[in-house]
Amino acid sequence: MKSFVLITGAAGGLGKAFALECAERGWDLFLTDRDNSTLEKLAEGINRLYNIHIVYKTCDLTDDFSRRKLWEYMEENRLKFHFLINVAGLDYEGMFNERSTAELDTIIRLNINAAVVMTNRIIRYRDYARTFRIINVSSLAAYYPMPVKATYAASKRFILDFSFAIREELKNDDVTVTALCPGGMPSNEEVMRSIERQGFFGRLTTRNVGYVASNTIDSALKGKKLYIPGSFNVLLKVLGKLVPAGIIAMFIAMRWNHART
Amino acid sequence: MKRVIVITGATSGIGFAAAKEFIKRGAAVIGTGRSRESCGKAAEKNRDITYIAADLSSQKQVRDAAAKISLLADSRYRGKIDVLVNNAGTFSGWYQATEDGYELQFAVNHLAPFLLTNLLLPELRASGKGKIITISSGSHYHTKINWKDPMNRKRYNCLKAYKQSKLANVLFSYELNRRFSEQFNIRAYAVDPGLVNTGIGEKRTGGLVKWFWGIRRKHGISPEKAAETIIYLAQRDLEDNTFEHLIDAPVEKNWIYWKECRPKEPGRYSKDGAAALRLWELSERLCGMAEQRETAAFKDPETENPDLSGTRSVIKIDSEAAV
Ligand SMILES: NC(=O)c1ccc[n+]([C@@H]2O[C@H](COP(=O)([O-])OP(=O)(O)OC[C@H]3O[C@@H](n4cnc5c(N)ncnc54)[C@H](OP(=O)(O)O)[C@@H]3O)[C@@H](O)[C@H]2O)c1
Repeated sequence: MKSFVLITGAAGGLGKAFALECAERGWDLFLTDRDNSTLEKLAEGINRLYNIHIVYKTCDLTDDFSRRKLWEYMEENRLKFHFLINVAGLDYEGMFNERSTAELDTIIRLNINAAVVMTNRIIRYRDYARTFRIINVSSLAAYYPMPVKATYAASKRFILDFSFAIREELKNDDVTVTALCPGGMPSNEEVMRSIERQGFFGRLTTRNVGYVASNTIDSALKGKKLYIPGSFNVLLKVLGKLVPAGIIAMFIAMRWNHART
Repeated sequence: MKRVIVITGATSGIGFAAAKEFIKRGAAVIGTGRSRESCGKAAEKNRDITYIAADLSSQKQVRDAAAKISLLADSRYRGKIDVLVNNAGTFSGWYQATEDGYELQFAVNHLAPFLLTNLLLPELRASGKGKIITISSGSHYHTKINWKDPMNRKRYNCLKAYKQSKLANVLFSYELNRRFSEQFNIRAYAVDPGLVNTGIGEKRTGGLVKWFWGIRRKHGISPEKAAETIIYLAQRDLEDNTFEHLIDAPVEKNWIYWKECRPKEPGRYSKDGAAALRLWELSERLCGMAEQRETAAFKDPETENPDLSGTRSVIKIDSEAAV
C-alpha cells in the first residue's frame, strides 16, 4: 500500500527543498500550497527528476472551507500518510503598529492554527504499517521575544512547545515529532536581501536550504526532538536560555534599528 | 535583408554591449531581459533593440519567450534568425530552487540556453548558416559534471555550481554541433569573454563573495571589449582576420571554443563525447522534451482519482471547480 508525505507550503523555498529531498529518497508526495500554477510547475519538475508519484492540491490553510475540501479528498480516496511536514508559515516584516488586523490574524491562523489542525487530521490518515513522522518548522526566533517580529516569533514559540508536548504524548503510538529551528535561510531573493541588511550577524546565522532540508529529514528519521542547523545558532539558543528575555528583546530591537538605517 | 541576432541577457554587461555593437553594424537585434523593468530601462538607452522580458530561470518563461521570438522573426524577418547569443548568466551565492525545482545556476546558465536553442532551431535553420554562440567562461576548466547531484543541492558550493554550468555550455556546444551542424548547416561556439568588469558577481551574492568580486571586477576588461569575440564569430568582419578561416572550418576540424577572437583549447572534460551525450539527454528530460515519448508520465489534469499503478505520475486536483 502506498502512502504519502504531505508537505504544506511546498512552493516556498524551504518547502521546495523538502519536496526535492523526499523525492530523492523515493517517497511519494502530496503537495499543497496556495497557488495552483506554482505547484503545477514544481510537480512537473520533480517528476522529471525522480520516479515518484506526486499529488498536489491548492489549499488556503487559513480557510476552513478550503481545508475541509482537502480532507474530503483524502478521505474519499483513502489516502494514507507516513510523514507530515508543516512548512507553511509567514510573517509581514515591520512594526506591530504598522500591521493591519487582518495581517496579524493571518499570521496566527497560518503559523499556529493550520499547523495544529493539520497535525490532528493527518495523524488520523496515517499509514499504520509505518512509523508516522512529523516535522514542524519553527524558527530560531522561537527562543526570544522579538521586537519587530513579535507575533511571528511568539507563533513559532507556540510551535516549538506544541511539538515537544505532543511528542511525549504520541511516543507510544510509533509517532515521532521533530521541530526545526533554522536561523536565516536564503530561500528566496527577498529573504536574501533581508539577511544582507543584517550584515555579518545575518550571514552567520544563515544556512543553505538544501542542506537544512536534508539534515532535518535525517534528524526526523532518528526520532530527534529538535534540529537547529549550524553551531552558531545552537549557541544562540543556549544564550537565549541563559540571558533574561527582556535584555535579549532590547538587544534585538537595537540591531533592527541599526539594520533599518 | 538585415542579419537577425537574438541575444539573451541583453539588458546589461556583455549582452548589452554586444547588442549595441550589432545595431551599429546594421543588424536587427532581439534582446531578452529578466524583467519588464530592466528591459524598459535598457530600451531607453538604445531604442533600436527590441526587448522581450523573460525570467529564464522559469522553463515556462523560456518557452513563452521562444514563441514570441519566433513570432517576431516570422512577421518581420521571414522566419529566420542568423545568430543566437546565449549570454544571460547568473551567479548565486546560495542554493536556490527555481519554480521548476532546479538549481538556479544550472537552470539559467545551462537549461535555459539548451531549451531556447532547441526551440529556435527551425529559425536558425532557415538562416541557411545559423550560429549559436553560448557564453561560457574560463571557469569551465578543471571541473566535472556532478552526475550524482547535478543540482548541487545538498552540498552547494556557489563556485562549483558556476563552474559546472559553464562546463555544461561547452559540452552543449559540442553536442549541438555533432547533432545538427551538418543536417541544418548551423554552427555552435562557446565563447570565453575573459575577466569582464560587470555586475554579475554582485547581484545575487553577499558578504565575502560580493566584496571579492567588487575588487576583482576592476581588473576586468570592458563589456565592449569582451563582446568583440561574439561580433567576430557572428559577422567575421573585424579588421584582424587572422583566424577568420577557422570560423567556418569543416565540422571535424571545427574550433568550438573562442577567446579574444581566436580559437583556444577547451578543458579536457568538455571534449568527452559520452558526457556531452549524457548531459544532452538529462537536459532533454529536465526540459520536458522527452515527455511526448514517455506517454505514461502524465495523467489527464482533470483526473480525480490517483492512479498509482505506474512508477511515476503527477496528479492535479482541481480545487477551484469544487468551490
Ligand atoms: N563578467 C565576467 O568576468 C565573465 C567571465 C566569464 C563569463 N561570463 C559570462 O558572461 C555572460 C554575461 O555576464 P555579464 O558579466 O555580462 O553579467 P551581467 O552584467 O550580470 O549580465 C547578465 C545578464 O543576464 C541576465 N540574467 C541573469 N539571470 C537571468 C534570468 N534568470 N533570466 C533572464 N535573464 C537573466 C541579467 O539580467 P539581470 O541584470 O536583470 O539579472 C543580465 O542582463 C554570463 O553567461 C557569464 O557567465 C562573465
